[in-house]
Amino acid sequence: MAERQSPLEPEFHVGSHGNFEHGVEILLTETRPGSIVQLAAWPGEEKKLIAAIRTVTGLALPDGAGGGSSDGVKSVFGFAPGKFTVADEAEGLAAAFAKAVTPAIGTVTDLSHGRTAIRIAGPKAEWVLAKFFAIDFALPAFPVGAGRSTAHHDVFAQIQRTGADQFDIYVFRSFARSFWKALCHASEEVGYEVQ
Amino acid sequence: MSPRRTDTGGRIDRLKTIRFSFDGVAYTGHAGDTLASALLAKGVTLFGRSFKYHRPRGLLTAGVEEPNALVTVLKGEVREPNIPATMVEIHDGLVAISQNRFPSLAWDIHAVNQLGGKILSAGFYYKTFMGPVIGPLKGTRFWMFCEHFIRRAAGLGSAGSAKDPAHYERMNAFCDVLVVGSGPAGLMAAKAAADQGARVMLADLEPRFGGSTNWSNETIDGAPAADWARRTVTQLEGRDNVRLLPRTTVWGYYDNNTLAALERVSDHKEQPAKGEPRHRYWAIRARSVVLATGAFERPLVFPGNDRPGVMLAHAAERYANEFGVLPGERIALFTNNDSAYRAAIALKKAGAAIVAIADVRSELSPEMRKLATEAEAEIFAGHAVVATEGGKALSGVKVQRFDMVTGALTGDERSIHADCLLMSGGWSPTIHLASQAGAKAEWNAARQAFLPPKPAQQWIGAGAFTGSFSTAEAIAEGRAAGLAAAGGTSTPAALPTVEAVHGDPDPAPVFEIRAKGKSFVDFQHDVTAEDVRLAHREGFVSVEHLKRYTTLGMATDQGKSSNVPGLAIMAEALGKPIPEVGTTRFRPPFAPVSIGSLAAERFGDLKPERLTPMHDWHVANGATMYSAGLWYRPMIYGLSGETIEQAYVREAKATRESAGIVDVSTLGKIAVQGPDAAAFLDRVYTNMFSTLAVGKARYGLMLREDGFAFDDGTTWRLGEQDFLMTTTTANAGKVMQHLEYFLDVIWPDLKVHVTSVTDEWAGAAIGGPKARQILAACVTGTAVDNATLPFMGIVHGQIAGVPVMICRLSFSGEMAFEVYSGAGHGIHVWEALIEAGKPFGLVAYGLEALGTMRIEKGHVTGAEIDGRTTARDLHLDWMLSKKKPFIGSAMMDREGLIASDRLELVGLIALDNRPLNGGAHIVEALDETNPHGSIGHITACCYSPALGKHIALALVQAGKARHGTRAHVSDPLRNRFGPVEIVSNHFYDPEGTRMHG
Repeated sequence: MAERQSPLEPEFHVGSHGNFEHGVEILLTETRPGSIVQLAAWPGEEKKLIAAIRTVTGLALPDGAGGGSSDGVKSVFGFAPGKFTVADEAEGLAAAFAKAVTPAIGTVTDLSHGRTAIRIAGPKAEWVLAKFFAIDFALPAFPVGAGRSTAHHDVFAQIQRTGADQFDIYVFRSFARSFWKALCHASEEVGYEVQ
Repeated sequence: MSPRRTDTGGRIDRLKTIRFSFDGVAYTGHAGDTLASALLAKGVTLFGRSFKYHRPRGLLTAGVEEPNALVTVLKGEVREPNIPATMVEIHDGLVAISQNRFPSLAWDIHAVNQLGGKILSAGFYYKTFMGPVIGPLKGTRFWMFCEHFIRRAAGLGSAGSAKDPAHYERMNAFCDVLVVGSGPAGLMAAKAAADQGARVMLADLEPRFGGSTNWSNETIDGAPAADWARRTVTQLEGRDNVRLLPRTTVWGYYDNNTLAALERVSDHKEQPAKGEPRHRYWAIRARSVVLATGAFERPLVFPGNDRPGVMLAHAAERYANEFGVLPGERIALFTNNDSAYRAAIALKKAGAAIVAIADVRSELSPEMRKLATEAEAEIFAGHAVVATEGGKALSGVKVQRFDMVTGALTGDERSIHADCLLMSGGWSPTIHLASQAGAKAEWNAARQAFLPPKPAQQWIGAGAFTGSFSTAEAIAEGRAAGLAAAGGTSTPAALPTVEAVHGDPDPAPVFEIRAKGKSFVDFQHDVTAEDVRLAHREGFVSVEHLKRYTTLGMATDQGKSSNVPGLAIMAEALGKPIPEVGTTRFRPPFAPVSIGSLAAERFGDLKPERLTPMHDWHVANGATMYSAGLWYRPMIYGLSGETIEQAYVREAKATRESAGIVDVSTLGKIAVQGPDAAAFLDRVYTNMFSTLAVGKARYGLMLREDGFAFDDGTTWRLGEQDFLMTTTTANAGKVMQHLEYFLDVIWPDLKVHVTSVTDEWAGAAIGGPKARQILAACVTGTAVDNATLPFMGIVHGQIAGVPVMICRLSFSGEMAFEVYSGAGHGIHVWEALIEAGKPFGLVAYGLEALGTMRIEKGHVTGAEIDGRTTARDLHLDWMLSKKKPFIGSAMMDREGLIASDRLELVGLIALDNRPLNGGAHIVEALDETNPHGSIGHITACCYSPALGKHIALALVQAGKARHGTRAHVSDPLRNRFGPVEIVSNHFYDPEGTRMHG
């Protein structure tokens, strides 16, 4: 099948940029997962959905709002009550969930094309993200694996922390290039590398 | 002018010379100087001209409260006016100019205004120019004539019109404890909170942390106070849980402990580093706040108190100790409190002669007498300064015996030769943020000051902010505040020991010396004591009215030094105590804020915009793009030399003759899923969806709850419990909110999930007589013939190897199909369709052609579903199901909504064969000189290639009944008048034979 086209392409310039003479403090990349799926449980069916997520992905979700988990290949996090975003490097996740999540449990919505996943990593990742989102990015407030729903200007975003200084941001595909440009611009002062 | 830099001392780097200019004259200073200190060091005493009278003005203060020395800073073509010279850090290449003067600061022709002093009193402009109510100018526009000259003569600096190329940023921050102010109290609070493990932010508007330690001669723990501050700052710098923000003014305190701050990131640099912003706007959410914002020293109000060379006492102390600059060689002091004596000692030590200390108090403490003796100053106890002498610089002062109880002046005046007069009228705690946070300040009779109110939000005060003016108190309160703010418990601990000059913190209750001459209360707005009394005489009793009438406390300094003296004078005039007169509530911002920092980065290249998967193809293939909300869509794909009309006519014609393709990815798409999805859609739409078969689509109409039309679109049933709803591009967000509202609030029992999938799908609509042949040429995995893919049918197949979903529906009126693919495959499918269409003459068309074809078909869009039209108005009443209730059904039959004279959708044909205009009125009888009698208006118009005529859709009163009649367009704004024929909105193929094939 034809390769999916990235919405970032004309603005995706691999290499070091901005104030990088003293080293880069930000790494930016597009993770391009094969699958991005949204799962939503009917009220009272959340635990069954969480169990289905574990069955399909092997990832165990911690209790509590915004909890999440990632094994580097698959990721899952809650972004609203009873609602989860799941991503996988491989395609076909929606079909797998369609079997595991029965209509009695909830719904499966394939967003593999509709969301663009951008990873920001590095010692200044929290600093740069603080320019965009009114979210407390400090590790105790936003632990590894956890997810948040937020917005920058008119761009809705879901953010999962996938490392101590690494975040994966899921934005609407149509806004992705605009958001990417803003992210690059905001990273200029600390020096960034696009990988 | 004589150089006044001391040989030693100060916190400047004397090894580093900085070159800058002021009013075109080249100067040098040192790293660490402000523009004020560097110019003062060079002997400059004249810094500006006053607002109204254009009186010469010098430095009054050394900080953010400076009312006089406002300058304009030039950076290339960009000018930033009204910056206090005291807050401008010099750097190589700095260019600053004075303002509100012509032709020069030294020789300002508007200084003639001083002669009209009595006339130019409070309310002068209102009284003079709101009329004239009598005389020959009555009823004329005399005020307008005068305004031009007044605006030139009065005011502050002028803003530039050049585009500001600087880069501004917004930052969000969260912390456990925000400490505002980095004097001894703030530093101790930050340290104590950090020691508790709290996340701490420490902000100070100055570049150097330490507050008063930078200029006091005190010692802490046996070392100069500044050294203690440096050590403490170094400790804080080394901690991961502390963020230090120098040059950061916390300017707003909002609900839920949200504070706004402005960081001046690179104003002090010749060039910002790559990517570095000029300013950062910080939105800080703090669990707790420590307010350690210190206090402002107040001027005394006496004749000539605004002459260059008259300065606040602590400001002079600061210039001497922090910047190594003496404000004068022969210095006199005038005070109502003990703090000025400390300044006298500091200036004496720095090398100045202290010629006199006039103190309104007749009884002085032995300690103060000792200090005065140490300063070798002649003491004038029970005296007041009654006049100052000199022109653009001070040459002397006159003192006279003063009774501070009665205010009476007695005895002979005595002249004292001095080139600098330092005054101190007591201290006002800087309670602005606490006031903004929501409570009323409380008057303290002992301190003669408004002290911070009881906290209405989660803040704790410390140091001079609370009225505790000694460093030892500041340290103790700072530590306690820091601990409490971090949630720790106060335990006895050895505090740093302070050696300081002790004085009585309470001033004598004297604000004004009433003698002959102009005594200024508000230096920045030229408000005199007499203006305040005039306002009282004219009936202004409320402090709020006083402020507005006299403008006291307005402008860039917001009355930081003038508010309390002004109130005191008003209170005396009213015969009331100050607390009864009250004070105005401080509002944000505490200090001026750059608009750029508030706008931050959502404009120009960084404006959020939405692009379809085929955007780059459109641009590469010559499309003229325009914005549709945040989306960018092709208007036309113009050929060389084509006008817009020629292009869209060509595109529409080609579509009707062979085939056309248009990007419809922007249509709102909402996945409606769940066991109750069909039932939900029956409630949302006016027509029935539960009867729709899987694999079929249906056109649907939504009403608002009030019965008016809301949005339309097709919804596709992809599975028993799985629908794909499409909405208009413009209303996608509104429809989503509408659906979520009903599911969350009205019908939470329904098991339905709605998810925006607009971005999941790329959409291409291909229409025209040859559309089916084109699809047949490139689609695999399914047939596209009439049996397999009937009107409103849906099939799944592949194009160029990627999955697609095809629905046969039409907006153009031609046989048409919408081809949906995953957005990441959108361009792949689009290019495959274009390639397949080449033998058939397929053209890509833009929104203009799309609009043209929909007008020809009489389809409605947002121009007609404008929030005021009903389904009946738009002839969509056939969609109003009678078998079920739906949103809006209860209200849609209200009398007014079914009236016979409502505006109804019609078609118009221009009978003069000239273009029509959107928004033009329709009238029954034309009267170009007196346009009237509108019966409706045009909502959309075009040249119709199918009809060869200029046509329009319009909303016209009882429109349907007028079919076949004539009317006129009346468009006086665009001077377009002419006859039209009213026809059905279905201009083209009303039977739909082309669409249904």
